[in-house]
Amino acid sequence: MEEKNTEQNKKKVLVVDDDNNLRRVLVDKLSLSGFDTAGASNGKEGLEKALEWHPDAILLDILMPIMNGQQMLKELRADEWGKNVKVIMLTVIEDANSIAQAMEDGSLAYLIKTEQTMDEVVEKVKSMLK
Amino acid sequence: MSISTVVLVILFGLIFSSFSLIQNVWTDPQRYFSSELSVSETQFYVVYMALVLISVFVSYIIYLLLTLRTRAEIMVLDKTKSLLISLDQFTKLYEGAPVPYIILNKKGEIVESNKAALRFFGVVEKEIIDKNIFSFQPKEDSEKADKFLQYYKSNIPINKEEIRMITKSGEVKWVMLSVFEMKDLKDPTHTGLATIFDITERKQLDQAKTEFVSLASHQLRTPVSTVKWYTDMLRSGSLGELQPKQTEYIDTIYKVNEGMIDLIDLLLNISRTEIGTLKMDIKAANVIDITDNILVELSSQIQEKNININKQYNNKLKNIKSDPKLLRIVIQNLLSNAVKYAPQGGEVGIIFKDSLIEKTISVSDNGIGIPKGEQFKIFTKLFRASNTHDSQGTGLGLYLVKSIMKTIGGDISFISEENKGTTFTIKL
Repeated sequence: MEEKNTEQNKKKVLVVDDDNNLRRVLVDKLSLSGFDTAGASNGKEGLEKALEWHPDAILLDILMPIMNGQQMLKELRADEWGKNVKVIMLTVIEDANSIAQAMEDGSLAYLIKTEQTMDEVVEKVKSMLK
Repeated sequence: MSISTVVLVILFGLIFSSFSLIQNVWTDPQRYFSSELSVSETQFYVVYMALVLISVFVSYIIYLLLTLRTRAEIMVLDKTKSLLISLDQFTKLYEGAPVPYIILNKKGEIVESNKAALRFFGVVEKEIIDKNIFSFQPKEDSEKADKFLQYYKSNIPINKEEIRMITKSGEVKWVMLSVFEMKDLKDPTHTGLATIFDITERKQLDQAKTEFVSLASHQLRTPVSTVKWYTDMLRSGSLGELQPKQTEYIDTIYKVNEGMIDLIDLLLNISRTEIGTLKMDIKAANVIDITDNILVELSSQIQEKNININKQYNNKLKNIKSDPKLLRIVIQNLLSNAVKYAPQGGEVGIIFKDSLIEKTISVSDNGIGIPKGEQFKIFTKLFRASNTHDSQGTGLGLYLVKSIMKTIGGDISFISEENKGTTFTIKL
């Protein structure tokens, strides 16, 4: 079973992804890895949840209805609290422009879903919250 | 030589010979004529003959002088007519051309335009005259417009620049603008000829293709990511230990799904190269690290076939300027092919060379080789050599490799002999 440590139990991770299956498995995996987790199914919902819940890290998809990940990131960075929160883009879009744009908008990492195992995603979150 | 010149020459010849004859006859008439005529009669006939010849000559000269003006006028008329025909043809071409042509003054203001230009902007002539050509760009592109105006004023040619322009109705169109200096006989000051190609449809099509690849990328990758992560959860034991048979089944699902991910990546990359959206991102690339990572990925196949890997690295290739991601796709394809086609217990070589002339990476195997008669088709899309009997290949890998090498400005070549092996060499 997953290793848990008390420090990590306090860390909150918000998963913003419109795909229910992917969101669920990410939330499950992060919970099993000792994080306090929550999910949101689009950028608008994600932004509201983030500003209310103040997570330590956000895993953010890009292509989503209502508000996409890039827009949510921009609005988040405009907020006093949101400008410092750790954000990892987790997407299937691989083009250089999207990556450059995400980095410019203040994303700290850009991961391609098909290239990452679940453990690698968790490791990335852990290393970012160290 | 004209007829009149020929006639003149003949006449001169005749007169000259007549005069010498007349002189001879005059001095010794009896030598030339019979005694039936007296000397004075003979001299009279000679003088008469000379006068006839002189009068013919003089008449011809008068004729030439009198007709000279008429002939000059006819010539001018002929030339004027052909000039008018040329002008008419030019005007028809200029006015009827489907491409907008615009003549500019030295400030970049429109002096004249053809009908296609008026149609393009949706205006009548007076609405466009005196307006600056660079003022038709949208406000967001004002920086670009200023830059091009400065180019124009400094006599720097604007060659096939893709810019946006606004028409009278407010429609924004993509155009390919060229402006070249034009010498005008009427006005020797600096003027320019602008041509505008409407490329809006092409741009929309490019955009649609890019969006299609982006959408396909999303729609195809999302389900395989889901399978990957759910099987990953089961395999890692996060949800409890599995029975050996269950592990075997889950591992198979995982492996097949990874193959699907690779295939989707391959298809998307091919689409990107074909529609020209495969962008290069040149930075420092460590070819040795890239190759070693690929070898780790291929380790299970290498071990399964007991393949000996012969590495000859050159440390200079640890830091080269290239696109690491594209280079990875190239080396990955060449290495996985080499491993796939090498025999059980065979050998795969990776040789890096860095000479003054070129940097090369060679990947070789001692496998089945490519039949000689099929070698010219090796980089063709969907080509599979007749001696490959496995069902794994797609016939797309080397096609993609070739396209990528073209994109990054390198080259690829190979030597191969059936049943002896193949060596691919890429030049960076």
